[in-house]
Amino acid sequence: MMSPDAMDAVFQALASATRREMLDIVRNDPGCSVGEVARNFDVSRVAVMRHLSVLEEAGLIISDKRGRTRHLYMNVVPIQMIHDRWSSEYSALWAGRMLDIKYLAEQRRAGGDGGGEDDHAREKGEQS
Amino acid sequence: MSEPVAKHLTGEIRTSMYRVIIKASIDQVWSELIRSDRPLPFFFNGQYDTPGLQDGAAFAMRTPDGKHTLVMGKVIEFEPPHRYAHTFRFTTSDDPVSIVRYALKEVEGGVEFTLINEHSAADEVSKSEKQMAQGAKFICENLKALVETGKATTGGRMMLFMFSLMAPMTPKSALSSNWPLERAPGLDDIRMTEEA
Repeated sequence: MMSPDAMDAVFQALASATRREMLDIVRNDPGCSVGEVARNFDVSRVAVMRHLSVLEEAGLIISDKRGRTRHLYMNVVPIQMIHDRWSSEYSALWAGRMLDIKYLAEQRRAGGDGGGEDDHAREKGEQS
Repeated sequence: MSEPVAKHLTGEIRTSMYRVIIKASIDQVWSELIRSDRPLPFFFNGQYDTPGLQDGAAFAMRTPDGKHTLVMGKVIEFEPPHRYAHTFRFTTSDDPVSIVRYALKEVEGGVEFTLINEHSAADEVSKSEKQMAQGAKFICENLKALVETGKATTGGRMMLFMFSLMAPMTPKSALSSNWPLERAPGLDDIRMTEEA
């Protein structure tokens, strides 16, 4: 789904403790300005801008220019796509669990509430 | 239907943004985003019920069988193929109304698709707002997958399948008979802070 280049850019952007911290700051304060991010670091504004542009090029930060101010937002989609690449195979397992709950709920409704809980617990124990 | 409508909220707004690059033409992405002739997998299989998407038009997102309604909204901006925005509320909760915006921009290698959720800062963060944050990721990923490959992501398809299984559990309040287009929320349904 994600191109190899795009994925490289995300990992490179995240391979820096400073940039990860910047991402935390932007995530916790959506719409903050470059100056507000820079206030948290002991480096020059130019260095901060350079880090932010690496994050922006990787698609992890969206910079929205309104008037003279740039407002920064974290974009979580690239991280979500990386997560999905390696975890979607397990969604079948997750779906299986959800089905368990559905069947359990239906059984319970069909059988009323009387004393069925031990049986359900036992069935569930046998499955896992 | 074509009365002039305000396009923006006046007051403090809580904004979140989601962006993905889609390898396709801007017209392809736009036409997939607004199509009303079939359920849209990236919108959780909702299908547009609307007299026609245009400025001021009301719409409902209904389930494929039409029986239930997931979302109601009113178009507040419609500029093909670049900008589209609408009010938004879930039918299953009385949480505050918010705004969803879509911005499409041609970039090298495709289209930059941005989804923006706007919530009035006068409102507390609601359950709906959290659901919209989850939903936004799903929409970006699956719109990209659909346009580029013709189908939703594996995880997305699994989730849609689960949705179809859960359909019998949909609350009665979401029955489409309760949600005529007249109930679509407008911008004036959003409570704002005093203008700064």
